[in-house]
Amino acid sequence: MTARSASRDEALSGVAFVAPYLAVFCGLLAYPLLSGIWLSLHKADLFGGSEFIGTENYARLLRDGVFREAVWNTCYFVLLTVPALTVAGLVLALALNNSSRWSTLLRGLFFSSSVLSVTIVTLIWRMVLVPDGGLIADLLGPIPFLSDAKLAMPAIAITTIWWCIGLPMMLFLAALQQVPRDLYEAAALDNAGRWRTLFSITLPSIRRTALVVVVIEIILQFQLFGQAQIMTLGGPNNASLPIVLFIYQIGFQRWDIGYAAAASEILFAIILVAAMIQFFASRGRER
Amino acid sequence: MAGRRRGGDIAIVAALAFAALLMAAPLLWTLLLSLKANGELLRGTATAFHPPYTLRNYTDILGHSAVFGWLLNSAIVSLGVTLGVLVLSSLAGYGFARLRFPGRDAIFVLVLFGLAIPEQSVIIARHQMFSALGLHNTYGGLILPGLAAPFGVFLMTQYFRAMPKELEEAAWLDGASRFRTFWRILVPLSYPAQATLGIFTFLSTWNDYWWPLISATSSRMYTLTVGVASSQMNFAQTNGLGFLMAQAVFASVPILIVYVIFQRYLVAGVRAAA
Amino acid sequence: MKRFALLVLGGLCMLPGCAPGKKGPVEITLQRFFGACDAQFGSSTDVAAADGECAIITTLINKFNADNPGIHVKVNIVYWPGYDQLSAALAAGDPPDLVTMHQSAISDYSQRGLIEPLDAGLKSAGIDPAEFTRAAREGVTRRGHVYALPFDNWTMLWQINMNLFRAAGLVRAGKPVLPHTPDELLAQARQFRRATGKPYLIQSMVNEPAAYARNLFTFLMQQDSDFFADPRHIRLQTPEARRVFALFKQLYDEDLTTKNQDYTAATSGFLNGQGGVYLVGTWMIGDYEKASKEPGSPLAGGYAVAPYPKLYARDVTYADGHAWAVPKAERSPEKMRAIFRLLRFLKDHDFDWSRTGHLPAYRAVIASARWRALPHRADLAGLVDTATPLPPGVQRQFLIQQIVSEEMESATTGQKPVDAALADAERRINDILFNLL
Repeated sequence: MTARSASRDEALSGVAFVAPYLAVFCGLLAYPLLSGIWLSLHKADLFGGSEFIGTENYARLLRDGVFREAVWNTCYFVLLTVPALTVAGLVLALALNNSSRWSTLLRGLFFSSSVLSVTIVTLIWRMVLVPDGGLIADLLGPIPFLSDAKLAMPAIAITTIWWCIGLPMMLFLAALQQVPRDLYEAAALDNAGRWRTLFSITLPSIRRTALVVVVIEIILQFQLFGQAQIMTLGGPNNASLPIVLFIYQIGFQRWDIGYAAAASEILFAIILVAAMIQFFASRGRER
Repeated sequence: MAGRRRGGDIAIVAALAFAALLMAAPLLWTLLLSLKANGELLRGTATAFHPPYTLRNYTDILGHSAVFGWLLNSAIVSLGVTLGVLVLSSLAGYGFARLRFPGRDAIFVLVLFGLAIPEQSVIIARHQMFSALGLHNTYGGLILPGLAAPFGVFLMTQYFRAMPKELEEAAWLDGASRFRTFWRILVPLSYPAQATLGIFTFLSTWNDYWWPLISATSSRMYTLTVGVASSQMNFAQTNGLGFLMAQAVFASVPILIVYVIFQRYLVAGVRAAA
Repeated sequence: MKRFALLVLGGLCMLPGCAPGKKGPVEITLQRFFGACDAQFGSSTDVAAADGECAIITTLINKFNADNPGIHVKVNIVYWPGYDQLSAALAAGDPPDLVTMHQSAISDYSQRGLIEPLDAGLKSAGIDPAEFTRAAREGVTRRGHVYALPFDNWTMLWQINMNLFRAAGLVRAGKPVLPHTPDELLAQARQFRRATGKPYLIQSMVNEPAAYARNLFTFLMQQDSDFFADPRHIRLQTPEARRVFALFKQLYDEDLTTKNQDYTAATSGFLNGQGGVYLVGTWMIGDYEKASKEPGSPLAGGYAVAPYPKLYARDVTYADGHAWAVPKAERSPEKMRAIFRLLRFLKDHDFDWSRTGHLPAYRAVIASARWRALPHRADLAGLVDTATPLPPGVQRQFLIQQIVSEEMESATTGQKPVDAALADAERRINDILFNLL
């Protein structure tokens, strides 16, 4: 076998191995992405019928008060959840970073909520928050969590923090367990107190993980959908309307899919920016 | 110094206990509500704090609920996607990691870009595509989109890259074909990665909401997430709060069992990601 | 081994069920809202014993299945109003065979050819549109064709807790005292609150996509405000609309209405005697009548129902109705026959359905003695003449209701000034209607 035909052989095998996945990738990811961008340049109806209008949908979105409110709501939601998730995740990881039985049990408890689907979580939390018969109402009195414009988003944020705390906690636990032992030994030799060890050694060592957690959570929480759709329908009067629910309503209730596609491309751009920031920031750190 | 340490320890334990209580409270509340008769709850949910309790809601579910259909659909779809992803990702991972072909690196970078694409920017076009192909309300329609996720390919490529080359070279020298080498040697060695990828894929497919919501519109095709959502909105007209909460418990049990069994692989995966 | 397996498989396929030409029952998929109550009524066919929308429709369909062994109706229950589901199914080319559709939503689907005109089929099933009531006929006819079989018409009503009214001195000669002007409404509401300590009105105000709009439309029509003079353009920045928003805002500000309740809470709130008047529709009459017969219930012996009082110039009430539509799809003649057989069955049982409280869609049923003998129907007979829907050319009525309700909620609860809410509502609705393809 000549070297040429051996490498041609390898090339053919290589293509054969990656082809099945690439077919799916192109058909179900790349093509819909491009098709969606094309669709966003049309005035299109869910049931067929479309008309090329260039960037008119995007111009309409920028003028649309409800869309602007949705973007603001989503940013507000991310601000409410991401710092809380990061800090709480870190605190829990620090507190539960040992092998006692209680810790194992508690770690399991804090992660178990992440395993549930969004529709089960909303069912559980609706009955906690609702002023007529909710758990909080029975214990503390009726508070209109889901119907007050100022409380709706924070209520969804609390639900989400309860739901998502598991992942940050686990990521931090993994990072904590990778901090080299000798750093701690050196600190102990220096008679450093608990707080000093925490701030001078532990936290700096897990900086990279903290960045990963923050960016992952930002990307995840920007995609808020189920909690708002089921618990508040985006209300009252769009006070808790996130971008993704806006897309769903425009596409599947207003049947205006060109407009919805344009909104989804704007969301994509926002998320891409967040991902890029992580990429460059982590590159920078390594230097 | 020691006294202060102990005081600090007690404070930490107390805070942890409180946090654990906050975490468990909604779950316990759901359980309590599910054990009360619907008629009693109609008068006020505070009745859930004390007996009498009943298993009536659970027997009602066993007799009349659509939950089982939903569970079956979710199981079929999740297993289908998991299997599909494991097969496609392993094949492609090996191809990218070990075989040279023109454009390999460029194509791999493109696949990585796919990681940044959120579901929302492809879902509408996908829905249109599947409408044209008549794939809605079918298992195929629910399984196919999940196969395109690049995460699996990324994971398996890294894993295969990290494997020592000597293993393959030995088999190669013995005259084995590439596929046999792959199948007989590398795949068994990659079981830990497969387990992790498998459990992550299963979990995220099981909990998928938006796509089944718009694709599985016929109630016979409802997955668990869509079914639970629809019964939440429906219940307003039937006053069956206890029944509804029992459904929530029923719907949670399978995935919690899967979680308990496969915990190890989830944790390993998270560790690798960090 | 393989060959043997193939032989067995082949043999199995010879059995009846696999052979071509052998037929099982014709299957029809029916999609409806009205709730899920399978736990209680899943296998019951006793229509007479059923109470309330969910129970009656479930037992009716069970009865049809039992009476027609050659047809099997498969029911797909969706949450109200179910148009998200229907649209997705239509877009996917896989719609149900029959679907519950509000008469106000028919235009959206008939305009795009998404539902079948039923004239020929109804004729073959022996159903004559001349038998429909005026409201029902207008509700289902578009451009001269009948696009759905009417099931009922409904309006919002004043469901009254007579026990509390009596305590407030608002009962005369056994009938509730109702206001004739907005000022009288406020005066009576205040009187009620002083006497009983409870809010006069019970309203579903949270996550509520429709009730606000229905109230607004009723009182706009009563003031003769031609807000949809052009069906593609709404006018809400008018003194009439301002008056209605202001009235409800005042009721809210003076605590004359319940607050923060969603539909479920308000519905059970009325059962628990939380207020005097619950603004909800005809569909609750059956349930509340039943409660009023239970000793010890806050409604015991004290339940009355009345159409919306005439507070302004005209005596009208906003109305809508339910109907059965057939989404467009390729169907065998057998299936079509089965569908129309079911439609005929539903028509023949319209009296049973009207036990829910909805107004019957057939003149014969309304005129019948047994309908008039149903509790409280005599009080509602006038609705047949005053019930008025929006002009039939208005599209996306559910979306419009939702936007109006969102903005009215904001204005009522004080989150937005009335003028801003009206302006936003008008702008958002006109934006949708303008951008319709």
